[in-house]
Amino acid sequence: MKSRVIGCLTVLAGLALSACGTGGSGSTSPSAGAPLKVAWIYVGSRSDAGWTKAHDDGRLMVEQHFGSRVQTTYKENVPEGPQVQQVIEQLVQDGNKLIFATSFGFQDAMDAEAKLHPDVFFEQATGFKTETNLAEYFGAAEDADYLTGMALGAATRNGKIGFVAPFPIPEVIREINAVTLGAQALHPGATVQVEWTNTWFDPAKEKQAAQSLIQRGVDAIGQGQDSPATGDAAKAAGVKWTGYDSNQQQFAPDVWLTGTVYNWGPYYTRRVQAVMDGTWKSGSYYGSMKDNFVDIAPFGTSVPQSARDAINQKKAALKSGSFYEFTGPIKDQSGAVHVTAGQKLTLNDILTMDWFVQGVIGNPKGS
Amino acid sequence: MSLRIERRLSIPGWLPVAVPVGSVILVLTGHDPVATDRRLLERGFFASGAISGTLVTATPLLLTALAAAAAFRMQVWNIGAEGQLYLGAVGASGAGIALHALPGPLIIAAMVVAGILAGAAWGAIPGILRAAFRTNEIITSLMLNYVAGLFITYLIYDSHSYWRDLSTFTARVFPQGKYLADAASWPRFDLLGMMIPFGFLLGILAAALVWLTATATRFGFEMRVIGDSPNAARYAGMRVRRRIVTVMAMAGGLAGLGGASEVGDFRHVLDPRGIQQAGFGYAGIVVAALARLNPFAVIVVAVLLGGLANAGYSLQGPDFPAGLVGTLQGLILFFALGGEMLVRYRIRWRGPQTAAPAPAPVAVAEAGS
Repeated sequence: MKSRVIGCLTVLAGLALSACGTGGSGSTSPSAGAPLKVAWIYVGSRSDAGWTKAHDDGRLMVEQHFGSRVQTTYKENVPEGPQVQQVIEQLVQDGNKLIFATSFGFQDAMDAEAKLHPDVFFEQATGFKTETNLAEYFGAAEDADYLTGMALGAATRNGKIGFVAPFPIPEVIREINAVTLGAQALHPGATVQVEWTNTWFDPAKEKQAAQSLIQRGVDAIGQGQDSPATGDAAKAAGVKWTGYDSNQQQFAPDVWLTGTVYNWGPYYTRRVQAVMDGTWKSGSYYGSMKDNFVDIAPFGTSVPQSARDAINQKKAALKSGSFYEFTGPIKDQSGAVHVTAGQKLTLNDILTMDWFVQGVIGNPKGS
Repeated sequence: MSLRIERRLSIPGWLPVAVPVGSVILVLTGHDPVATDRRLLERGFFASGAISGTLVTATPLLLTALAAAAAFRMQVWNIGAEGQLYLGAVGASGAGIALHALPGPLIIAAMVVAGILAGAAWGAIPGILRAAFRTNEIITSLMLNYVAGLFITYLIYDSHSYWRDLSTFTARVFPQGKYLADAASWPRFDLLGMMIPFGFLLGILAAALVWLTATATRFGFEMRVIGDSPNAARYAGMRVRRRIVTVMAMAGGLAGLGGASEVGDFRHVLDPRGIQQAGFGYAGIVVAALARLNPFAVIVVAVLLGGLANAGYSLQGPDFPAGLVGTLQGLILFFALGGEMLVRYRIRWRGPQTAAPAPAPVAVAEAGS
């Protein structure tokens, strides 16, 4: 016991000594013309090649655009829960004036901190709570998912498509529905078999789920996961693959079709500009294909020209607003008409979507 | 050439030299070690509000570490604090939801009891399996962590369970648990500006109880005998199987209290994703080992580790990757653990001229002498 305390004290003493060694090389005092400090909080690693990387690309775009007028920072691998409030508090103490949180589970802490610091602007991705200094932002990934589904539909020969999916939640359910409708547009009667992983990011689990789908005979596979591990399994089996979040072509170029990608950068740039101009306002931003918030990644070499043309045509229609994927008639899994002919699902409808369209094999309640 | 480890008779003078290794790495990666260490200490312990933040992590660590230490002291290898903590969170949030209309203190008391009972029941399973079938509790308690993780995920994501909120628009957009009433929030005590969570106070009380049980009760004595020599214990008429089940249940109860505190002190909802990401059960084993299973040292180490974790986020940034933060934290732990071992033992090199011609058994015999 005694020696243990000594060991402990030695370590602490060493730290304390070096800490007390010099005078303030600590915080820099804000002055006129000082750069605007902007921070991001990531749930994953910025090298995840998916969700977090997409956000970090946005951060880098902000840096590039504003140069020395901004100073950005980020905190990665931050777990969802009470610790994040401490992380936000530290960012505020460090002088950050605009803070973006990029995972749903950060919302409660962001809300609490927004109330504590009315002079700081907060932005929560994929959330729904707003305050005068807390805004919320996300985008219509389903538009791009529909196009991604078309690529899968063009690639499958036996009409069996697999989908590696994180959680049975509306966000993912509408993604799977959009993919299925897109696939059926180019391959009538195509089915999409769902495998839940119950995680956003776990390359080993994601790969396992993909392998399990491939063993069950799917010859094209999509994903809603944050890592490109599905592509790994697809590459090994020679099965065509669509990615998610970021352009993941490099991980399996031979089997790569395309993928839904987010461009967070332009939004981030606009919001930083707004803070600089003093025009920042709270709100709920739902980006779309029209403003390039969501898009599809460049096609892989194996996508035939006919499919490219069809997809690009639909993309133009989505952008112009002449096409919307969730327009009736749409049947649910039981074959009953869920959306009547001509009816368009509203944003609220799709934000709470808890049913699968016809052709999806899987349970929207999970497992 | 061979290595051997022998006991030291005195504490080596070079030991403090080991500490600046972290500084060397910082310099090599282009960082100012002084500023870095300073920031680490400030943000973990000395800045205003730092201890309050540190205790957010230290509280669950304290209780899961006690769950490990209480069992390890008695040679029962409980690796299941992680799952026991989940079950404690399930029990406490269930009680909190069910009794939401009662006065605050009653809800809180019920949450504490429910958390302890749920954790104890989960902990008892590997205990019973070992007592009845002589299964290895390291494996069973570890595997039950995964079962518990899937169970809480099921409660919120895959079912319409009692814990899941199905009424609000929010919950329809993203599955979530039912939030507890404000009255069910555990109190915090302001001590010189540090906000001490109620769960942390319970943890200190629990540490004292663990220490008392181990040192001053017949039960503690029997467990020491059972740990050292089960046959002798049986010969002396001790009920070995029952004791093992009791120890596992006790450890589970401690971790379960940690889960109750997560819900009552901090989250106020059953949050399967966040609580699994945190991994307090596994980190608790590290804390217990660092504290050499001493319940009071566990308190100190839990706060130290909580501060390290808390300060780690503060260091991170574009010029300070998360991996480097982890390296620094790892080095500090390594020297606390490794330094501890090197304080008591030393490593002796034996030159090749003696070891090479000599057959292996001789070297072993020499080392043993």
